[in-house]
Amino acid sequence: MTPFVAEVLIPVGKVVAVILYPMVMVVVMIWLERRVVALMQGRLGPNRVGFQGLLQPVADAVKLFFKENIMQRQADTFLFNVSPVLVMFSSLLAFCFVPLGEPIMLGSYNLTLWIAESPVGLLIILGLSSISVFGVIFGGWASNSKYPLMGALRSVVQVLSYEIPIGLTVLTVVFVARSMDLVEIVRRQEASGVWYGFLMPVSFVVFWISGIAETNRAPFDLPEAESELVAGYHTEYSGMKFAFFYMAEYAHMVLVSSLVVILFFGGWLPPFPSVKALSFLHAAPGFVWYLVKIMFFLYLYVWIRATFPRYRFDSLIRLVWKWFVPLSLLNFLAVALGRFLL
Amino acid sequence: MSRLKRFLKMAFLLDILQGLGVTLRLYFSRKVTVQYPEQVQEPAPRFRGILRLHRDEGGEPLCIACKACQRACGTNCFDIEGKKEEGAKVMRPVKFDWKLDRCSFCGFCVEVCPTAAIRFSREFRLTGTGKVGLFFRLPDMYLAGEDLQEHLCAGCRRPQ
Repeated sequence: MTPFVAEVLIPVGKVVAVILYPMVMVVVMIWLERRVVALMQGRLGPNRVGFQGLLQPVADAVKLFFKENIMQRQADTFLFNVSPVLVMFSSLLAFCFVPLGEPIMLGSYNLTLWIAESPVGLLIILGLSSISVFGVIFGGWASNSKYPLMGALRSVVQVLSYEIPIGLTVLTVVFVARSMDLVEIVRRQEASGVWYGFLMPVSFVVFWISGIAETNRAPFDLPEAESELVAGYHTEYSGMKFAFFYMAEYAHMVLVSSLVVILFFGGWLPPFPSVKALSFLHAAPGFVWYLVKIMFFLYLYVWIRATFPRYRFDSLIRLVWKWFVPLSLLNFLAVALGRFLL
Repeated sequence: MSRLKRFLKMAFLLDILQGLGVTLRLYFSRKVTVQYPEQVQEPAPRFRGILRLHRDEGGEPLCIACKACQRACGTNCFDIEGKKEEGAKVMRPVKFDWKLDRCSFCGFCVEVCPTAAIRFSREFRLTGTGKVGLFFRLPDMYLAGEDLQEHLCAGCRRPQ
């Protein structure tokens, strides 16, 4: 392999891929959400544009491209424009640290299926997902309108509250794996033979529910309760700026699903590694398993949305402070104790 | 006991799984959507579609140009003139103008018609692109089906 390919083409290709991959997942996700929610409500959902309506998100995006970009006269121009970019940027950047599978050997070249492997990858992802809070609050404040401001405040309170149980449950995984490196965490699960989701079900459940709340999804979608409020913090946004918020929300869902899969369900590992009769499962490459797993969790997102009614704001805050924080603290203590004794 | 049971149900997410089960069952249930151009839902028997004039079995028009409908109409949809031919027993309309854009489908004309010449049809496809298609003269009042669609769509260039 020539150095040009190895040092220019492949890195550039990876950068393109890391932008395309969440975008494609967002498109699939929007379609999946509309179809699945419709089917669960006894309807059919969009099935005309393209095969089974697969091109519906594309049509939506084209529509949004041609929409007028409206800005409030007294809006803070700089913050108003920068906040959708901030939200989108933090969602996309986090995907650089998400490993999609084992490295592939191309001749003598070692093609890694991640852009950056960092010993504190988990910390970086958590930090980046917190940056999107700034985008939300800037957007809500810069709109110079009361409803976006209230929506932004609600959103920030919610996201910050639910970050505590997320941090505490992630710590249990870090404790058991003794690493913050996502690749290393998956390798530890491979070595120990049991996925951490089965080892620490409490951590998984708390992380997953908090993850739903963190992405402002139903039943915790209070900041933008579609059926009650206008749109929450992005009320004043239109056209592609609105689409940025929208896509960032979906990209964030893909990110949380990826994190759940990597931390608790063995990332790219095939299931049942010790059962000899099922060894044919290893024939599929790792990232296929990874995709299957995250598709399951994305489906679960939609499934939960179609099932449960929205929380009231006080119950939402009560749930996290009176149940999840103590529960994850106890869980953390239990895991720490177990790790110390074993 | 029941409080403990409820707590355990909540703690082990049993009620959440139950809820997910309900939606999963609905996911595979029969869908109520009617895919319109391919599947057409029959309107109800008493559906008030576009007003049409009718003829008797012999092909003679039923309308006797009594103008009862014109007087009953609240929105002045009708402009009717009748004429009695030499030797004929009843009057026949020579002019029967009707404006769909004014009609509110109240049905007073249908109730008042002594010969049941004017009746509601069950046609619900009433769109066109101009006002021309919404104006009906005497022969147009007998159109139905695709001929009616063509009349409604007068002036729009629709691929045939």
